[in-house]
Amino acid sequence: MVDFARVQKELADCNRDMAISGVSIMLHGNGNDLSHLSGTITGPLATPYEGGTFQIDIRLPEGYPFEPPKMQFVTKVWHPNISSQNGAICLDILKDQWSPALTLKTALLSLQALLSAPEPDDPQDAVVAQQYLRDYQTFMGTARYWTETFAKRSSIGTEEKVQKLL
Amino acid sequence: MVSDSIVNGPAPAILKDFAKKKRSNRTAKLKQCKLDARREQWLSQVKNKGCKEESNGEGVSPPPYLRQNDERKRSLNKLETRTRGEENERSSFRDSDLESLENSPSGSILGANDSRKDRPGSSSGSSRSSSSGGCYSGSVSEEEEDDGCLDDWEAVADALAADDKRHQPNSKPPAEPKTPVGLTDSHEPPSKTYGAESLKPECHGTNSRVAANSLAWSPDDACRPQSLPNLSKLHSFTMNTEGHCGRGAVIWACRSIISPPSSCPICFEDLDLTDSSFLPCSCGFRLCLFCHKRILEADGRCPGCRKQYDPSIGDMGVNGVVLPIRLARSCSMVFLSVLLLSCINSVSDWFKDSFSFLGKFVKELMLLRHDGHGSGWKVYETGRSIKYRVNL
Repeated sequence: MVDFARVQKELADCNRDMAISGVSIMLHGNGNDLSHLSGTITGPLATPYEGGTFQIDIRLPEGYPFEPPKMQFVTKVWHPNISSQNGAICLDILKDQWSPALTLKTALLSLQALLSAPEPDDPQDAVVAQQYLRDYQTFMGTARYWTETFAKRSSIGTEEKVQKLL
Repeated sequence: MVSDSIVNGPAPAILKDFAKKKRSNRTAKLKQCKLDARREQWLSQVKNKGCKEESNGEGVSPPPYLRQNDERKRSLNKLETRTRGEENERSSFRDSDLESLENSPSGSILGANDSRKDRPGSSSGSSRSSSSGGCYSGSVSEEEEDDGCLDDWEAVADALAADDKRHQPNSKPPAEPKTPVGLTDSHEPPSKTYGAESLKPECHGTNSRVAANSLAWSPDDACRPQSLPNLSKLHSFTMNTEGHCGRGAVIWACRSIISPPSSCPICFEDLDLTDSSFLPCSCGFRLCLFCHKRILEADGRCPGCRKQYDPSIGDMGVNGVVLPIRLARSCSMVFLSVLLLSCINSVSDWFKDSFSFLGKFVKELMLLRHDGHGSGWKVYETGRSIKYRVNL
Protein backbone atom coordinates (compact mmCIF):
# COMPACT_ATOMS: atom_id res chain seq x y z
CA MET A 1 0.00 0.00 0.00
CA VAL A 2 1.38 3.34 -1.00
CA ASP A 3 1.70 5.77 1.88
CA PHE A 4 -0.70 8.34 0.49
CA ALA A 5 -0.34 10.63 3.47
CA ARG A 6 3.31 10.97 2.59
CA VAL A 7 2.58 11.40 -1.13
CA GLN A 8 0.14 14.19 -0.45
CA LYS A 9 2.64 15.96 1.76
CA GLU A 10 5.29 15.49 -0.88
CA LEU A 11 3.09 17.03 -3.53
CA ALA A 12 2.32 20.01 -1.34
CA ASP A 13 5.98 20.47 -0.40
CA CYS A 14 7.19 20.14 -3.98
CA ASN A 15 4.70 22.54 -5.49
CA ARG A 16 5.24 25.16 -2.81
CA ASP A 17 8.55 26.35 -4.30
CA MET A 18 7.88 25.32 -7.87
CA ALA A 19 9.17 28.59 -9.31
CA ILE A 20 12.54 28.32 -7.54
CA SER A 21 13.25 24.61 -7.85
CA GLY A 22 11.96 24.25 -11.41
CA VAL A 23 10.27 20.95 -10.60
CA SER A 24 6.61 20.32 -10.02
CA ILE A 25 4.38 17.29 -9.61
CA MET A 26 0.75 16.97 -10.62
CA LEU A 27 -1.69 14.10 -10.64
CA HIS A 28 -1.52 12.33 -13.94
CA GLY A 29 -4.13 13.60 -16.36
CA ASN A 30 -7.24 14.68 -14.58
CA GLY A 31 -7.46 11.54 -12.53
CA ASN A 32 -7.30 11.31 -8.77
CA ASP A 33 -4.92 8.38 -8.55
CA LEU A 34 -2.17 9.33 -6.16
CA SER A 35 0.00 6.47 -7.40
CA HIS A 36 0.14 7.82 -10.96
CA LEU A 37 1.68 11.26 -11.12
CA SER A 38 3.13 13.56 -13.69
CA GLY A 39 6.32 15.46 -12.96
CA THR A 40 7.74 18.46 -14.78
CA ILE A 41 11.32 19.68 -14.77
CA THR A 42 12.83 22.64 -16.55
CA GLY A 43 15.98 22.15 -18.59
CA PRO A 44 19.04 23.29 -16.66
CA LEU A 45 20.77 26.48 -17.78
CA ALA A 46 23.98 26.29 -19.86
CA THR A 47 22.99 22.91 -21.29
CA PRO A 48 21.40 21.97 -24.62
CA TYR A 49 18.23 21.36 -22.62
CA GLU A 50 17.94 25.00 -21.51
CA GLY A 51 14.52 26.48 -22.07
CA GLY A 52 12.82 23.12 -22.38
CA THR A 53 10.13 21.73 -20.14
CA PHE A 54 10.29 17.97 -19.67
CA GLN A 55 7.37 15.82 -18.68
CA ILE A 56 8.05 12.74 -16.59
CA ASP A 57 5.57 10.00 -15.92
CA ILE A 58 5.74 8.86 -12.29
CA ARG A 59 4.24 5.63 -11.02
CA LEU A 60 4.45 4.79 -7.37
CA PRO A 61 4.83 1.10 -6.57
CA GLU A 62 3.00 -0.54 -3.69
CA GLY A 63 6.03 -0.33 -1.48
CA TYR A 64 6.68 3.37 -1.94
CA PRO A 65 8.57 5.02 -0.23
CA PHE A 66 10.50 1.85 0.57
CA GLU A 67 10.68 1.05 -3.12
CA PRO A 68 11.76 3.62 -5.71
CA PRO A 69 9.19 5.40 -7.84
CA LYS A 70 9.10 4.37 -11.50
CA MET A 71 9.98 7.37 -13.64
CA GLN A 72 10.08 7.72 -17.37
CA PHE A 73 10.49 10.71 -19.68
CA VAL A 74 7.36 11.45 -21.66
CA THR A 75 9.09 14.28 -23.50
CA LYS A 76 11.66 13.00 -25.97
CA VAL A 77 15.21 13.81 -24.85
CA TRP A 78 18.58 13.32 -26.55
CA HIS A 79 20.69 12.22 -23.58
CA PRO A 80 23.13 9.31 -23.02
CA ASN A 81 21.30 8.13 -19.90
CA ILE A 82 17.76 8.51 -21.24
CA SER A 83 16.35 6.27 -23.90
CA SER A 84 15.63 8.21 -27.07
CA GLN A 85 13.04 5.53 -27.89
CA ASN A 86 10.90 5.25 -24.76
CA GLY A 87 12.26 7.76 -22.26
CA ALA A 88 13.54 5.13 -19.83
CA ILE A 89 15.98 6.59 -17.34
CA CYS A 90 19.25 5.10 -16.16
CA LEU A 91 19.81 6.61 -12.77
CA ASP A 92 21.04 4.74 -9.74
CA ILE A 93 18.77 6.42 -7.24
CA LEU A 94 15.77 5.19 -9.20
CA LYS A 95 17.12 1.66 -8.90
CA ASP A 96 19.40 0.16 -6.29
CA GLN A 97 20.49 3.42 -4.71
CA TRP A 98 17.00 4.54 -3.83
CA SER A 99 16.50 5.48 -0.21
CA PRO A 100 13.17 6.04 1.50
CA ALA A 101 14.62 9.29 2.74
CA LEU A 102 14.51 10.54 -0.84
CA THR A 103 11.34 12.07 -2.17
CA LEU A 104 9.74 12.60 -5.55
CA LYS A 105 11.07 16.13 -5.49
CA THR A 106 14.64 15.06 -4.81
CA ALA A 107 14.32 12.41 -7.50
CA LEU A 108 13.14 15.01 -10.00
CA LEU A 109 15.96 17.31 -8.96
CA SER A 110 18.34 14.41 -9.53
CA LEU A 111 16.94 14.04 -13.03
CA GLN A 112 17.56 17.73 -13.57
CA ALA A 113 21.13 17.21 -12.43
CA LEU A 114 21.43 14.23 -14.74
CA LEU A 115 20.49 16.44 -17.70
CA SER A 116 23.33 18.79 -16.88
CA ALA A 117 25.84 16.02 -16.08
CA PRO A 118 25.46 13.02 -18.46
CA GLU A 119 27.18 9.75 -17.58
CA PRO A 120 28.18 8.27 -20.99
CA ASP A 121 30.09 5.44 -19.27
CA ASP A 122 26.87 3.98 -17.90
CA PRO A 123 24.55 4.64 -20.81
CA GLN A 124 20.89 3.92 -21.28
CA ASP A 125 20.97 4.78 -24.98
CA ALA A 126 24.14 3.42 -26.59
CA VAL A 127 23.80 5.45 -29.78
CA VAL A 128 23.55 8.73 -27.91
CA ALA A 129 26.40 7.72 -25.63
CA GLN A 130 28.62 6.91 -28.62
CA GLN A 131 27.83 10.27 -30.18
CA TYR A 132 28.49 12.04 -26.88
CA LEU A 133 31.92 10.41 -26.61
CA ARG A 134 33.00 10.63 -30.27
CA ASP A 135 31.33 13.75 -31.61
CA TYR A 136 30.39 16.06 -28.80
CA GLN A 137 29.45 18.94 -31.12
CA THR A 138 26.96 16.85 -33.04
CA PHE A 139 25.57 15.55 -29.75
CA MET A 140 25.09 19.14 -28.54
CA GLY A 141 23.37 20.11 -31.77
CA THR A 142 21.04 17.12 -31.71
CA ALA A 143 20.18 17.58 -28.05
CA ARG A 144 19.44 21.26 -28.63
CA TYR A 145 17.34 20.42 -31.64
CA TRP A 146 15.34 17.81 -29.71
CA THR A 147 14.79 20.30 -26.92
CA GLU A 148 13.55 22.90 -29.40
CA THR A 149 11.36 20.37 -31.11
CA PHE A 150 9.86 18.37 -28.26
CA ALA A 151 10.39 20.28 -25.03
CA LYS A 152 9.10 23.69 -26.05
CA ARG A 153 5.58 22.76 -27.02
CA SER A 154 4.08 25.65 -25.20
CA SER A 155 6.05 28.26 -27.15
CA ILE A 156 5.73 26.65 -30.57
CA GLY A 157 2.36 25.50 -31.78
CA THR A 158 1.88 22.02 -33.20
CA GLU A 159 1.27 23.32 -36.69
CA GLU A 160 4.46 25.34 -36.67
CA LYS A 161 6.33 22.28 -35.48
CA VAL A 162 4.92 20.20 -38.28
CA GLN A 163 5.89 22.93 -40.72
CA LYS A 164 9.40 22.96 -39.27
CA LEU A 165 9.73 19.21 -39.58
CA LEU A 166 8.54 19.28 -43.14
CA MET B 1 -20.63 20.10 42.29
CA VAL B 2 -20.85 22.24 45.34
CA SER B 3 -23.70 24.24 44.00
CA ASP B 4 -25.51 21.04 43.09
CA SER B 5 -25.26 19.68 46.56
CA ILE B 6 -26.61 22.90 47.91
CA VAL B 7 -29.46 23.17 45.46
CA ASN B 8 -30.64 19.62 45.90
CA GLY B 9 -30.62 19.81 49.62
CA PRO B 10 -32.55 22.91 50.66
CA ALA B 11 -35.03 23.10 47.76
CA PRO B 12 -37.66 20.73 49.19
CA ALA B 13 -37.05 22.03 52.62
CA ILE B 14 -37.92 25.52 51.54
CA LEU B 15 -41.36 24.47 50.36
CA LYS B 16 -42.13 23.12 53.78
CA ASP B 17 -40.67 26.24 55.30
CA PHE B 18 -42.93 28.35 53.21
CA ALA B 19 -45.97 26.53 54.57
CA LYS B 20 -44.76 27.08 58.10
CA LYS B 21 -43.41 30.52 57.49
CA LYS B 22 -44.82 32.16 60.54
CA ARG B 23 -43.70 29.48 62.87
CA SER B 24 -40.27 29.42 61.42
CA ASN B 25 -39.92 33.16 61.63
CA ARG B 26 -40.84 33.03 65.26
CA THR B 27 -38.46 30.19 65.91
CA ALA B 28 -35.83 32.03 63.98
CA LYS B 29 -36.18 35.12 66.10
CA LEU B 30 -36.02 33.10 69.25
CA LYS B 31 -32.87 31.39 68.21
CA GLN B 32 -31.27 34.34 66.59
CA CYS B 33 -29.58 35.74 69.64
CA LYS B 34 -28.06 32.42 70.48
CA LEU B 35 -26.97 31.89 66.91
CA ASP B 36 -25.45 35.32 66.60
CA ALA B 37 -23.39 34.58 69.64
CA ARG B 38 -22.31 31.29 68.17
CA ARG B 39 -21.60 32.95 64.91
CA GLU B 40 -19.30 35.45 66.57
CA GLN B 41 -17.48 32.58 68.13
CA TRP B 42 -17.36 30.76 64.83
CA LEU B 43 -16.11 33.77 62.90
CA SER B 44 -13.24 34.15 65.30
CA GLN B 45 -12.37 30.54 64.63
CA VAL B 46 -12.81 31.13 60.93
CA LYS B 47 -10.31 33.96 60.91
CA ASN B 48 -7.72 31.59 62.21
CA LYS B 49 -8.65 29.03 59.62
CA GLY B 50 -9.29 31.47 56.83
CA CYS B 51 -6.76 29.75 54.66
CA LYS B 52 -8.40 26.38 54.78
CA GLU B 53 -11.93 27.62 54.42
CA GLU B 54 -11.09 29.72 51.45
CA SER B 55 -10.18 26.65 49.51
CA ASN B 56 -13.12 24.86 51.04
CA GLY B 57 -15.55 27.53 49.94
CA GLU B 58 -14.29 27.53 46.40
CA GLY B 59 -15.16 23.92 46.01
CA VAL B 60 -11.62 22.78 45.43
CA SER B 61 -12.35 19.63 47.38
CA PRO B 62 -15.78 18.50 46.34
CA PRO B 63 -15.81 14.93 47.66
CA PRO B 64 -16.72 15.85 51.27
CA TYR B 65 -19.75 17.77 50.03
CA LEU B 66 -20.88 14.92 47.88
CA ARG B 67 -20.63 12.65 50.84
CA GLN B 68 -22.53 15.10 52.97
CA ASN B 69 -25.21 15.42 50.39
CA ASP B 70 -25.76 11.68 50.35
CA GLU B 71 -25.65 11.56 54.09
CA ARG B 72 -28.19 14.30 54.32
CA LYS B 73 -30.53 12.66 51.85
CA ARG B 74 -30.44 9.53 53.90
CA SER B 75 -31.02 11.36 57.09
CA LEU B 76 -33.86 13.34 55.54
CA ASN B 77 -35.57 10.13 54.64
CA LYS B 78 -35.06 8.58 58.04
CA LEU B 79 -35.71 11.47 60.29
CA GLU B 80 -38.40 13.36 58.50
CA THR B 81 -40.07 14.61 61.61
CA ARG B 82 -36.83 15.67 63.17
CA THR B 83 -35.51 17.36 60.08
CA ARG B 84 -38.53 19.62 59.82
CA GLY B 85 -37.61 21.25 63.00
CA GLU B 86 -34.02 21.43 61.98
CA GLU B 87 -34.89 22.93 58.64
CA ASN B 88 -36.47 25.74 60.52
CA GLU B 89 -33.31 26.01 62.42
CA ARG B 90 -31.39 25.98 59.20
CA SER B 91 -33.49 28.72 57.70
CA SER B 92 -32.81 30.74 60.78
CA PHE B 93 -29.13 30.17 60.18
CA ARG B 94 -29.54 31.72 56.81
CA ASP B 95 -31.46 34.62 58.19
CA SER B 96 -28.76 35.26 60.63
CA ASP B 97 -26.14 34.82 57.95
CA LEU B 98 -27.74 37.35 55.74
CA GLU B 99 -28.37 39.81 58.48
CA SER B 100 -24.88 39.56 59.70
CA LEU B 101 -23.75 40.10 56.15
CA GLU B 102 -25.81 43.21 55.96
CA ASN B 103 -24.64 44.45 59.29
CA SER B 104 -21.09 43.39 58.81
CA PRO B 105 -18.94 46.30 59.89
CA SER B 106 -16.05 45.35 57.64
CA GLY B 107 -18.10 46.20 54.60
CA SER B 108 -18.97 44.51 51.41
CA ILE B 109 -15.56 43.05 50.74
CA LEU B 110 -15.50 41.00 53.88
CA GLY B 111 -19.21 40.34 53.51
CA ALA B 112 -18.74 38.74 50.16
CA ASN B 113 -16.08 36.56 51.61
CA ASP B 114 -18.26 35.64 54.54
CA SER B 115 -21.01 34.52 52.26
CA ARG B 116 -18.56 32.41 50.43
CA LYS B 117 -17.52 30.68 53.59
CA ASP B 118 -20.92 30.42 55.16
CA ARG B 119 -22.96 28.69 52.53
CA PRO B 120 -21.06 25.48 52.30
CA GLY B 121 -20.55 25.63 55.98
CA SER B 122 -24.28 25.94 56.64
CA SER B 123 -25.11 23.07 54.37
CA SER B 124 -22.56 20.87 56.02
CA GLY B 125 -23.68 22.11 59.36
CA SER B 126 -27.25 21.11 58.68
CA SER B 127 -26.17 17.71 57.55
CA ARG B 128 -24.43 17.32 60.84
CA SER B 129 -27.30 18.69 62.82
CA SER B 130 -29.64 16.05 61.49
CA SER B 131 -27.50 13.38 63.05
CA SER B 132 -25.87 15.01 66.01
CA GLY B 133 -28.00 18.02 66.74
CA GLY B 134 -25.02 20.35 66.61
CA CYS B 135 -25.04 23.25 64.26
CA TYR B 136 -21.96 25.35 63.61
CA SER B 137 -19.83 23.17 65.76
CA GLY B 138 -20.55 20.51 63.20
CA SER B 139 -19.39 22.62 60.34
CA VAL B 140 -16.22 23.58 62.13
CA SER B 141 -15.32 20.00 62.77
CA GLU B 142 -16.06 19.29 59.15
CA GLU B 143 -13.54 21.84 58.09
CA GLU B 144 -11.01 20.31 60.37
CA GLU B 145 -11.53 17.05 58.59
CA ASP B 146 -10.78 18.80 55.35
CA ASP B 147 -7.40 19.95 56.53
CA GLY B 148 -5.66 16.71 55.67
CA CYS B 149 -7.27 16.73 52.31
CA LEU B 150 -6.05 20.23 51.67
CA ASP B 151 -2.52 19.31 52.59
CA ASP B 152 -2.67 16.54 50.05
CA TRP B 153 -3.85 18.91 47.41
CA GLU B 154 -1.03 21.22 48.16
CA ALA B 155 1.40 18.35 47.91
CA VAL B 156 0.00 17.54 44.51
CA ALA B 157 0.29 21.17 43.59
CA ASP B 158 3.94 21.11 44.53
CA ALA B 159 4.41 17.96 42.52
CA LEU B 160 2.97 19.73 39.54
CA ALA B 161 5.16 22.74 40.13
CA ALA B 162 6.56 22.53 36.64
CA ASP B 163 3.19 23.29 35.16
CA ASP B 164 2.37 25.84 37.79
CA LYS B 165 5.47 27.82 37.03
CA ARG B 166 4.56 27.87 33.43
CA HIS B 167 1.05 29.08 34.14
CA GLN B 168 1.81 31.41 36.98
CA PRO B 169 2.64 34.55 35.03
CA ASN B 170 -0.46 34.25 32.90
CA SER B 171 -2.87 32.80 35.36
CA LYS B 172 -3.14 35.75 37.72
CA PRO B 173 -5.18 38.20 35.68
CA PRO B 174 -7.38 35.80 33.68
CA ALA B 175 -7.85 33.20 36.38
CA GLU B 176 -9.09 35.46 39.14
CA PRO B 177 -12.35 36.36 37.47
CA LYS B 178 -12.98 32.63 37.51
CA THR B 179 -13.52 32.65 41.24
CA PRO B 180 -16.49 35.01 41.19
CA VAL B 181 -18.16 32.90 38.53
CA GLY B 182 -17.85 29.89 40.75
CA LEU B 183 -19.02 31.94 43.71
CA THR B 184 -22.13 33.37 42.19
CA ASP B 185 -22.99 30.02 40.71
CA SER B 186 -22.81 28.29 44.01
CA HIS B 187 -24.66 31.00 45.87
CA GLU B 188 -27.48 31.91 43.57
CA PRO B 189 -29.65 28.87 44.23
CA PRO B 190 -29.75 29.34 47.99
CA SER B 191 -30.46 33.03 47.61
CA LYS B 192 -33.49 32.27 45.45
CA THR B 193 -34.83 30.15 48.25
CA TYR B 194 -34.50 33.05 50.62
CA GLY B 195 -36.63 35.01 48.25
CA ALA B 196 -39.43 32.61 49.07
CA GLU B 197 -38.98 33.52 52.69
CA SER B 198 -39.78 37.18 52.09
CA LEU B 199 -36.15 38.17 52.26
CA LYS B 200 -36.03 39.07 48.62
CA PRO B 201 -34.64 42.60 48.73
CA GLU B 202 -31.89 41.68 51.13
CA CYS B 203 -30.87 38.69 49.08
CA HIS B 204 -30.69 40.56 45.87
CA GLY B 205 -28.64 43.14 47.58
CA THR B 206 -26.16 40.58 48.79
CA ASN B 207 -26.15 38.75 45.59
CA SER B 208 -25.42 41.75 43.45
CA ARG B 209 -22.80 42.75 45.90
CA VAL B 210 -21.22 39.35 45.67
CA ALA B 211 -21.17 39.78 41.93
CA ALA B 212 -19.85 43.33 42.07
CA ASN B 213 -17.16 42.62 44.64
CA SER B 214 -16.51 39.32 43.12
CA LEU B 215 -13.12 39.04 44.76
CA ALA B 216 -13.15 38.52 48.44
CA TRP B 217 -9.71 39.94 48.79
CA SER B 218 -7.56 41.16 46.03
CA PRO B 219 -4.09 39.65 46.36
CA ASP B 220 -2.62 42.99 47.39
CA ASP B 221 -5.47 43.97 49.69
CA ALA B 222 -4.34 45.24 53.07
CA CYS B 223 -7.32 43.56 54.78
CA ARG B 224 -6.43 40.23 53.31
CA PRO B 225 -5.53 37.81 56.11
CA GLN B 226 -2.00 36.52 56.08
CA SER B 227 -3.20 32.98 56.45
CA LEU B 228 -4.97 32.95 53.08
CA PRO B 229 -3.17 30.82 50.53
CA ASN B 230 -1.51 32.26 47.52
CA LEU B 231 -4.42 32.91 45.19
CA SER B 232 -2.43 32.68 42.04
CA LYS B 233 -1.11 29.30 43.07
CA LEU B 234 -4.58 28.16 43.92
CA HIS B 235 -5.95 29.30 40.59
CA SER B 236 -3.25 27.77 38.55
CA PHE B 237 -3.81 24.61 40.51
CA THR B 238 -7.52 24.53 39.84
CA MET B 239 -6.72 25.02 36.20
CA ASN B 240 -4.49 22.01 36.43
CA THR B 241 -7.13 19.87 38.02
CA GLU B 242 -9.47 20.79 35.20
CA GLY B 243 -6.80 19.96 32.69
CA HIS B 244 -5.92 16.61 34.21
CA CYS B 245 -9.35 15.10 34.20
CA GLY B 246 -9.17 13.81 30.65
CA ARG B 247 -6.82 11.56 28.77
CA GLY B 248 -6.27 14.23 26.18
CA ALA B 249 -5.20 16.56 28.92
CA VAL B 250 -2.65 14.06 30.13
CA ILE B 251 -1.17 14.00 26.70
CA TRP B 252 -1.35 17.72 26.57
CA ALA B 253 0.57 17.89 29.82
CA CYS B 254 3.19 15.53 28.47
CA ARG B 255 3.54 17.45 25.26
CA SER B 256 3.87 20.71 27.10
CA ILE B 257 6.93 19.31 28.85
CA ILE B 258 8.42 17.74 25.76
CA SER B 259 9.62 19.98 23.02
CA PRO B 260 7.60 19.74 19.82
CA PRO B 261 8.56 16.56 17.96
CA SER B 262 9.99 16.62 14.50
CA SER B 263 8.52 14.23 11.99
CA CYS B 264 9.90 10.99 10.60
CA PRO B 265 11.56 11.71 7.24
CA ILE B 266 10.15 8.48 5.81
CA CYS B 267 6.49 8.47 6.76
CA PHE B 268 6.29 12.18 7.71
CA GLU B 269 4.50 11.32 10.94
CA ASP B 270 5.48 12.92 14.20
CA LEU B 271 8.29 11.27 16.10
CA ASP B 272 7.20 10.41 19.61
CA LEU B 273 9.51 10.42 22.59
CA THR B 274 10.74 6.89 22.02
CA ASP B 275 11.30 7.53 18.34
CA SER B 276 13.26 10.68 18.95
CA SER B 277 15.55 8.90 21.43
CA PHE B 278 16.06 6.07 18.93
CA LEU B 279 19.33 6.34 17.03
CA PRO B 280 19.73 3.24 14.88
CA CYS B 281 22.69 4.36 12.76
CA SER B 282 25.99 6.00 13.54
CA CYS B 283 25.32 8.55 10.78
CA GLY B 284 22.70 10.11 13.04
CA PHE B 285 19.78 9.58 10.73
CA ARG B 286 16.66 9.31 12.82
CA LEU B 287 13.44 7.69 11.81
CA CYS B 288 10.42 6.23 13.53
CA LEU B 289 10.50 2.65 14.75
CA PHE B 290 7.92 1.52 12.24
CA CYS B 291 9.87 2.70 9.24
CA HIS B 292 13.03 1.26 10.80
CA LYS B 293 11.35 -2.07 11.19
CA ARG B 294 10.07 -1.97 7.64
CA ILE B 295 13.58 -1.27 6.37
CA LEU B 296 15.00 -4.12 8.44
CA GLU B 297 12.51 -6.43 6.77
CA ALA B 298 13.83 -5.35 3.38
CA ASP B 299 17.48 -4.57 2.65
CA GLY B 300 18.23 -3.20 6.10
CA ARG B 301 20.21 -0.19 4.96
CA CYS B 302 20.08 3.20 6.63
CA PRO B 303 18.12 5.65 4.47
CA GLY B 304 20.51 8.40 5.44
CA CYS B 305 23.87 6.85 4.52
CA ARG B 306 22.86 3.61 2.73
CA LYS B 307 25.09 1.65 5.08
CA GLN B 308 23.84 -1.66 6.42
CA TYR B 309 22.21 -1.21 9.80
CA ASP B 310 24.25 -2.55 12.69
CA PRO B 311 22.13 -5.48 13.87
CA SER B 312 23.11 -4.93 17.51
CA ILE B 313 21.77 -1.40 17.46
CA GLY B 314 18.64 -2.57 15.78
CA ASP B 315 18.12 -5.25 18.39
CA MET B 316 18.67 -2.81 21.14
CA GLY B 317 15.88 -0.67 19.83
CA VAL B 318 13.46 -3.45 19.15
CA ASN B 319 14.13 -5.93 21.91
CA GLY B 320 14.05 -3.44 24.70
CA VAL B 321 17.55 -3.76 26.14
CA VAL B 322 17.64 -0.03 26.72
CA LEU B 323 13.91 0.30 26.52
CA PRO B 324 13.08 0.09 30.23
CA ILE B 325 15.32 3.07 30.87
CA ARG B 326 13.62 4.96 28.13
CA LEU B 327 10.28 4.00 29.53
CA ALA B 328 11.21 5.32 32.92
CA ARG B 329 12.21 8.62 31.40
CA SER B 330 9.22 8.88 29.19
CA CYS B 331 6.11 9.93 31.00
CA SER B 332 4.01 9.45 27.90
CA MET B 333 5.03 5.82 27.82
CA VAL B 334 4.19 5.41 31.48
CA PHE B 335 0.73 6.76 30.80
CA LEU B 336 0.61 4.50 27.82
CA SER B 337 1.34 1.41 29.86
CA VAL B 338 -1.39 2.32 32.32
CA LEU B 339 -3.85 2.94 29.52
CA LEU B 340 -2.79 -0.23 27.82
CA LEU B 341 -3.34 -2.32 30.93
CA SER B 342 -6.78 -0.82 31.23
CA CYS B 343 -7.68 -1.62 27.66
CA ILE B 344 -6.23 -5.08 27.33
CA ASN B 345 -9.56 -6.66 28.19
CA SER B 346 -11.29 -4.87 25.39
CA VAL B 347 -9.05 -5.92 22.53
CA SER B 348 -8.81 -9.10 20.58
CA ASP B 349 -7.40 -12.40 21.76
CA TRP B 350 -4.25 -12.50 19.73
CA PHE B 351 -3.42 -9.13 21.14
CA LYS B 352 -3.86 -10.48 24.64
CA ASP B 353 -1.60 -13.40 23.82
CA SER B 354 1.13 -11.13 22.67
CA PHE B 355 0.93 -9.31 26.00
CA SER B 356 0.95 -12.48 28.05
CA PHE B 357 4.03 -11.68 30.11
CA LEU B 358 5.73 -8.51 31.13
CA GLY B 359 8.94 -8.89 29.17
CA LYS B 360 6.98 -9.25 26.04
CA PHE B 361 4.76 -6.46 27.23
CA VAL B 362 7.62 -4.03 27.33
CA LYS B 363 8.66 -5.10 23.88
CA GLU B 364 5.23 -4.73 22.46
CA LEU B 365 4.77 -1.41 24.08
CA MET B 366 7.23 -0.01 21.60
CA LEU B 367 4.71 -0.58 18.92
CA LEU B 368 1.88 1.29 20.51
CA ARG B 369 1.62 4.86 19.48
CA HIS B 370 -0.76 7.62 20.11
CA ASP B 371 -2.24 8.77 16.84
CA GLY B 372 -2.01 12.41 17.84
CA HIS B 373 -5.71 13.14 18.03
CA GLY B 374 -6.42 12.17 21.62
CA SER B 375 -9.12 9.68 20.74
CA GLY B 376 -7.35 6.57 19.60
CA TRP B 377 -4.15 4.61 19.72
CA LYS B 378 -2.43 2.95 16.87
CA VAL B 379 -1.27 -0.55 17.71
CA TYR B 380 1.38 -2.20 15.65
CA GLU B 381 1.96 -5.88 15.92
CA THR B 382 5.56 -7.00 15.86
CA GLY B 383 6.57 -9.31 13.08
CA ARG B 384 3.63 -8.44 10.90
CA SER B 385 3.69 -4.65 10.76
CA ILE B 386 -0.05 -4.33 11.00
CA LYS B 387 -1.45 -0.97 11.93
CA TYR B 388 -4.78 -0.58 13.56
CA ARG B 389 -6.43 1.75 15.98
CA VAL B 390 -7.67 1.05 19.46
CA ASN B 391 -10.24 3.50 20.62
CA LEU B 392 -10.31 3.64 24.38
